[in-house]
Amino acid sequence: MKKPFLFLLPVFLLACQSLPAMNPAGQERFACPSPFPKEPSRWVHSIESRMPGHQRSSVIGITAIEPATQTVSCAVMTPEGVVLFEAEDGPQGLQVKRALPPFDLSDVAKNMIADIRMIFLAPPGALEGKGFLPNGAAACRYRDEKGEWTDVVREGPTDNVQIRRYSPAGVLKRQVRLRDKKKNFYQRVELQADEIYPYSLEMKLLDVRLLNKPPKHSKNIN
Amino acid sequence: MLMRGAGFYKLIGAAAMLLLLCGRASFALEDDFAKIRRESAGIKTLRADFVQKKFMKILSKPLASEGRFYYEAPDCLRWEYFKPLKSLVIVRKNQVKRYLYSEGKMIEDRTGGAPAMKMVLNEVAGWMSGRFDQNPSFKATFHRKANPVITLVPADKNMSGFVEKIEITLAGSHGVVKSVKIFEGPDNFTQINFVRVQTNTPIDPAVFQDVP
Repeated sequence: MKKPFLFLLPVFLLACQSLPAMNPAGQERFACPSPFPKEPSRWVHSIESRMPGHQRSSVIGITAIEPATQTVSCAVMTPEGVVLFEAEDGPQGLQVKRALPPFDLSDVAKNMIADIRMIFLAPPGALEGKGFLPNGAAACRYRDEKGEWTDVVREGPTDNVQIRRYSPAGVLKRQVRLRDKKKNFYQRVELQADEIYPYSLEMKLLDVRLLNKPPKHSKNIN
Repeated sequence: MLMRGAGFYKLIGAAAMLLLLCGRASFALEDDFAKIRRESAGIKTLRADFVQKKFMKILSKPLASEGRFYYEAPDCLRWEYFKPLKSLVIVRKNQVKRYLYSEGKMIEDRTGGAPAMKMVLNEVAGWMSGRFDQNPSFKATFHRKANPVITLVPADKNMSGFVEKIEITLAGSHGVVKSVKIFEGPDNFTQINFVRVQTNTPIDPAVFQDVP
């Protein structure tokens, strides 16, 4: 009798997840955390991914961001320089220029672009709330046109920033942590995806440049 | 996946083989690939540092990598990157292992890269035994110029989606390899320059041992 219940327990727990409560900021004012690049820029990171079964892989990720047009371009290559994936996503839609397995699966490309957008671009949608989470962290809450929620949270005294994305029902789907290092939040990025096949990414910055500007202005642009 | 994944290592093998062959060979332009086969028989070991530059439209400047290559006849290879991302491939007696740097140490990559290397070994073994122009995977052409260029074009259509062609430029008539370009697409190619090339010097057997 107990075994079926135990089997269903994770389902119940998942169903019971909801957006964390937020106490309104009231008189206490703070600016919403906004670590996102404000100018066109190009980022090169080493990316270590971890998947179920202790599988790990390392790749180099190149991401070009144009915040004004909400356009992202990206390429993923092996340490040996083989380009596994290259795509651009903007007003014209997603254009995949190159996709070797497993990046040739449409969901993989779509999810990867979604991850990049979550990391580098300010959340889509309107600001729905501003206040403090139960742990005291200052947060701003956004809701996009699909009904998904995004919390951008300042992690207390560290000034690290967390971005948490929830389904319309309030189930946590993604969390990104940007570690503040001399105000360059993209020195080290961690992403945790809570999907049927969960995975995590750890990104370390190799290079960053403002697009169309000399290299000497390349640092600390967010 | 394996066919495509193996392709790059085939290219590396091709580059390495050309380096191996040309490092000692004194190319007379009238020579054909038969001479390469003859010259290859005398190479027992080879080591070289390399600088690799990746050119892509998305990159405003090429992405540079550095590493080292070792070969010992008949079937030991080590291809190692030091930066920006450490990685290592070791081939020894038909055993192929790929390692990634994680949390301060090298860990074996079990995501499928290593099996791809087994295919490479077969290719490289063919080149090592001098069957460079007889490899059905590539059509090899020798271009007679001041700096001779050898072009490899994939014969396999599966691979042609992975790489368009390889150009190996030799530094003058002595045949030392100046650069290798691997074209993956119109705006996407990799250039590898080999430096500090040494042939037939002893290599510590530990170089080809598995990483504990």
